[in-house]
Amino acid sequence: MDLDEFRASLDRWLEESGAALAPAYSGLGTLDERMAQLAKVKRLTYDAGWMRWGWPERVGGLGGSTLLRAYLGEALTSRDLVDPGSYSMTEVLAPTMIDYARPELAAAMVPRLLRGDEIWCQGFSEPGTGSNLAALSCRATRADDGWRVTGQKIWTSFAQYAARCVILTRTGSAESAHKGITALFVDMDTPGITVRPIEAMHGATEFCEVFFDDVSVPFERTLAEVGQGWSVAMDLLPYERSVALWHKAAYLHRRLDEVLHRTPPDALDAAALGEVTQLLYAFRARSRATQHRLAAGEPLGPETSIDKVLVATAEQALFDLVADGLAADVTIGDDPESERWRAEFLYSRAATIYGGSAEIQRNIIARRLLDLGPEG
Amino acid sequence: MDGAELELFAQTLRRATASRTGAALDAALEEVGWQDALAVDVRAAVSMLFELQGEANAASSALDRVVLSGLGLELGSTAAVVLPPLGRWSPPGELDGTHLYIRGLGTAALGPAAGIFSMARSRWSLGASKSDTLLASRKTALVVARTGDREVAVVVTAADLTLRPVRGIDPWLGLVEVTGDVFGAGVQPEPVPTKWASAVALGQLALGHELVGASRKVLELAREHALQRIQFGRRISAFQAIRHRLADTLVAIETADAMLAAAWQDRSLQAAAMAKALAGRGARMAARHCQQVLAGIGFTTEHPLHRYVRRVLVLDQLMGSARTLTRELGAELLRTKKLPPLLPL
Repeated sequence: MDLDEFRASLDRWLEESGAALAPAYSGLGTLDERMAQLAKVKRLTYDAGWMRWGWPERVGGLGGSTLLRAYLGEALTSRDLVDPGSYSMTEVLAPTMIDYARPELAAAMVPRLLRGDEIWCQGFSEPGTGSNLAALSCRATRADDGWRVTGQKIWTSFAQYAARCVILTRTGSAESAHKGITALFVDMDTPGITVRPIEAMHGATEFCEVFFDDVSVPFERTLAEVGQGWSVAMDLLPYERSVALWHKAAYLHRRLDEVLHRTPPDALDAAALGEVTQLLYAFRARSRATQHRLAAGEPLGPETSIDKVLVATAEQALFDLVADGLAADVTIGDDPESERWRAEFLYSRAATIYGGSAEIQRNIIARRLLDLGPEG
Repeated sequence: MDGAELELFAQTLRRATASRTGAALDAALEEVGWQDALAVDVRAAVSMLFELQGEANAASSALDRVVLSGLGLELGSTAAVVLPPLGRWSPPGELDGTHLYIRGLGTAALGPAAGIFSMARSRWSLGASKSDTLLASRKTALVVARTGDREVAVVVTAADLTLRPVRGIDPWLGLVEVTGDVFGAGVQPEPVPTKWASAVALGQLALGHELVGASRKVLELAREHALQRIQFGRRISAFQAIRHRLADTLVAIETADAMLAAAWQDRSLQAAAMAKALAGRGARMAARHCQQVLAGIGFTTEHPLHRYVRRVLVLDQLMGSARTLTRELGAELLRTKKLPPLLPL
């Protein structure tokens, strides 16, 4: 299946399946409704085959270029059928399993994620380690029958919905830093796991705290080798900054188009509108090249930090424009549409914080791309 | 051109731009067949030369060739093109009957002769002698003019024009301010094969690459300085305030570069204007951040930075500045309620 063929036939299918795919709510919907919508869209697109393209056959995929995944996500987010954030978690979690889980485990589990039968989460951050991931302290110790995990994770998106979690644990000494980290694949219904959702500023409880109290994890759920967790984390970051960002950008383009059409006359400053448009188009140009490098099998590395800085800058600039152009919706509107604009405006404030803060990205650019040597 | 040919050509152009500027660079470009390359592979010829020219702070009249190529015209190698006035992208001419009114700018092709140029590279001021002006007057220049809702091309002799060699903020660029008020039998309008706007788009891409080249050089200068300069017992490159300025500069450069690549694929007028705007804004940001990092030494004429600070300010204004192009894009979107087409994956 080549991209042009995929695009044409998918567009046709989306046209025909519009009613079946459409959300049952207007505006923002509740988080429960949005997660149900995500599951529905994933199931329909998986059963029709679309969701399987671009993934290896050994995990239930149909093979083909990663560009097919990029386009599917673009098509779904630009039609407002899914939220880019929750939808694109697959782009991070599935490659981790494909690259690092035992083949039987990956083959059994990945199709459930792709088909939307299960939601998975990613337990990296901890209260004491925000940007400084290598300092994590959630401990996994060896028992006779497997790992025992004790510790706490935070900012774990959708943990309250998740059936599984990829977590990073400390298996080396406290001082072992990035050398003593091991990645595990954990069933969320294991005794000893407690999830506490955190209400975020934009009104959703998408981020959670996850507590592990002597949680038993079988050895065969170890991802990669013991002590290789840092590589697992580093290797998935380029995925987080490639296909997932392409999906995000498609959604931002849709919002820009909506702002343009919905804004009252004279509410938008031409210069600000022009600049946001340039940023979004430039991001698309940048990310397009990244998608093609990924599809060609080229290694992605620190240069994707530029993609991340750019998309976060573009997103915040866009929603700053929204705050002016649709000021009444964002500030005093209480209808479903206004609630969505307000939530998305507020959510955009976090774009320079999550997934490696803007400062961390600039540190990477300075160290790895500009070769400025160590800091401090 | 294929990979090996491109690499060889890039090396040739790098040598030419590194050591020559003005008429000497024009002669070198003629010699290495840059114009032939322009006819064969416009993207490679334009992107390579202008990025290198920007990096080397060199000047040439290659922009004239680019505009001619964008117009679908081929003229003799001495013909110059009148470019739009500073900050503008509209045609430089207005034709009313046989009365042609011209306001614009010219490159070195309309400028004083070669000798002055090569000296100007190492000299603060630039002046045109009487004999230079005389030499220039034998040249011809192509003027695209608006007449009603049509566009026409008129070839005028330089003698018909008032040419003011520009010293300005960047004497090394060798710009010429062009005004003219021509009428009578000398005005013979010809149809132009392609719209002026397409020629502007191509010119904007060239200028965008030149701005990116200049920005990369400025970043390199600041980076080298940051790694060498010791304060408080440390290299200043160890300070996050310095690192983040330089990181932001690289992001701005790569942003413009990506948009330029997309504009070459897309070939729409809007994409070219967006790329030029991003390149102009990015270059001015690069100049600002890197001047701060270079601090005292960067404020002297003993360090090359000032040449780039000057160049970037003028290049940003040619064929539309970042500010005006951005405002115009926004105004157009508000008018049409239609976003530019998206480049497909």
